[in-house]
Amino acid sequence: MGGWLAWLVLLASLALPGQPALAEYGDVVLNRRSEKEGMRPVIFSHWFHRIRFQCKVCHQELGFKMRVGSNDVRMADIINGKFCGMCHNGDVAWGPDRCDLCHSGKRGLPTGIYGGHETSGPGRW
Amino acid sequence: MRNLYTAMILASLMGLVATAQADTKGKAIYEKACASCHNTGIANAPKLNDSADWAPRLRKGGMDGLYHSALEGTPMGMPRKGGFLDLPDADVKAAVDYMVGKLPAKVVSVASAPSAKPAQAAPVAATQAAPAPQAAAKPAAPTVNSFNRLMKPAGARNAPPAEDGIHDPENDGTLALQHPQQAYTGLPKSNAGNRVNWVASLNEKKITPRWDRVDPAAEAVVMDLDIVREVKGTMPDVLYPHKAHTEILDCSNCHPALFEPQKGANKLSMAAIMMGQQCGVCHGKVAFPISECRNCHSQKKAAPTKVADKP
Ligand code: HEC
Ligand code: HEC
Ligand code: HEC
Repeated sequence: MGGWLAWLVLLASLALPGQPALAEYGDVVLNRRSEKEGMRPVIFSHWFHRIRFQCKVCHQELGFKMRVGSNDVRMADIINGKFCGMCHNGDVAWGPDRCDLCHSGKRGLPTGIYGGHETSGPGRW
Repeated sequence: MRNLYTAMILASLMGLVATAQADTKGKAIYEKACASCHNTGIANAPKLNDSADWAPRLRKGGMDGLYHSALEGTPMGMPRKGGFLDLPDADVKAAVDYMVGKLPAKVVSVASAPSAKPAQAAPVAATQAAPAPQAAAKPAAPTVNSFNRLMKPAGARNAPPAEDGIHDPENDGTLALQHPQQAYTGLPKSNAGNRVNWVASLNEKKITPRWDRVDPAAEAVVMDLDIVREVKGTMPDVLYPHKAHTEILDCSNCHPALFEPQKGANKLSMAAIMMGQQCGVCHGKVAFPISECRNCHSQKKAAPTKVADKP
């Protein structure tokens, strides 16, 4: 069973088109719900935010778990000032009304970390 | 009249001699620096004498394009100056001339450069061929590094959002996003990841990320304690600096879920790290990747005792 899963992951990683490898290192695609609800996937860039905030702000203060896809982020939460909405509230940064700045991903991209990451399950190593 | 004839013959002879000399020079450089790949077409290098390999390249950028690729390298895998960085530009061009000179005239004429004097005709070729290739060049730009299949081609590092393969260029917001290269100007560089040395950027105060979401004055409680771990085998020992980590993270990010806060209590392994555990939770995803062995394996091992030294 586990073996099958590993193979699936391996195949999936091999089947990934070369394109996303051009993404900036550490870019995160969040697409647990967005596309099912008719929005483009969300792209979060670590490089952009780490120039402004230390990791601790998001990964301890705001409680983003360091495992892509493990946080169940809902748009309602964001508007209520949780997750991205802790900052994207029109106060620390622009507000949740700027849909297309966050929901800017190509359709069909799965949730995950992009940009030629080198650690994670079978595949690259 | 006679004089004119002799002069013309002399001139053309001299021209011949000159090209012949350039040819032998080009050949010598070719043999030294280019042949290892271009003889057999390793990593899709255009093969010597193979018109089909060269014609599209000539059509695309003319001789100037070829010179440029040879001098600057290409994302397809051509190293700068074939890897011989101390070759003068003129020598590299001579080698290109030699390779192009090997092709039948009709192939070279697509770039409208007479085969004997490709160097002079090059600017004409480039301007004439300009409109078509410029339109064609964009989609044709290779998106994979065909030599190191899983690595980013040099030309595609820090791509703008609209071209990075994950942002949708049709989306209006995408165009409003910042180009990473703009954000990185003036930051110390590194060879991997974002190609920015984030630790140095922070130390040199080139970036001043907030420690608190709203309070710009809040400061981290930094713990300056280096942990040295002896490593089996020949790799240098690992030094883990608490300082660089506590400047940006909270203790609870690592302790106790990833590492027991007790010296010697954790069994670390390179295999686990590569699988995204332990240090690999961040290194290889957001923090500098594990291809930078020496960043961590930084402590030279004590010199091994020689057999002769033993009593
Ligand atoms: C502005 C907020 C923010 C900052 C600052 C930030 N991160 Fe993240 N990080 C995120 C979000 C959001 C995710 C995705 C979480 C998810 O998918 O549920 C994430 C995911 C991660 C992951 C998981 C990757 C994976 O493959 O599962 C790692 C590791 C990580 N961050 C490390 C860091 C490090 C190291 C820093 C500091 C240099 C940092 N982050 C700074 C918001 C942030
Ligand atoms: C600050 C960034 C940000 C902005 C701005 C933003 N979103 Fe989202 N949105 C997210 C994130 C993150 C998710 C969760 C992504 C996922 O896992 O699919 C999400 C999810 C959603 C979902 C999925 C279902 C749900 O309720 O969670 C919808 C629909 C959605 N957003 C609509 C919008 C609309 C409409 C706007 C503009 C009014 C907007 N979003 C603006 C970040 C943002
Ligand atoms: C700790 C605060 C913080 C959190 C949390 C945060 N952001 Fe941001 N974000 C910012 C700031 C500050 C900016 C810069 C705003 C500006 O330049 O006006 C920004 C800018 C952005 C941008 C625009 C980048 C650009 O190129 O201009 C995007 C997209 C974005 N954030 C997405 C997200 C998403 C998605 C999340 C949640 C997963 C998130 N952010 C969480 C603070 C935050």
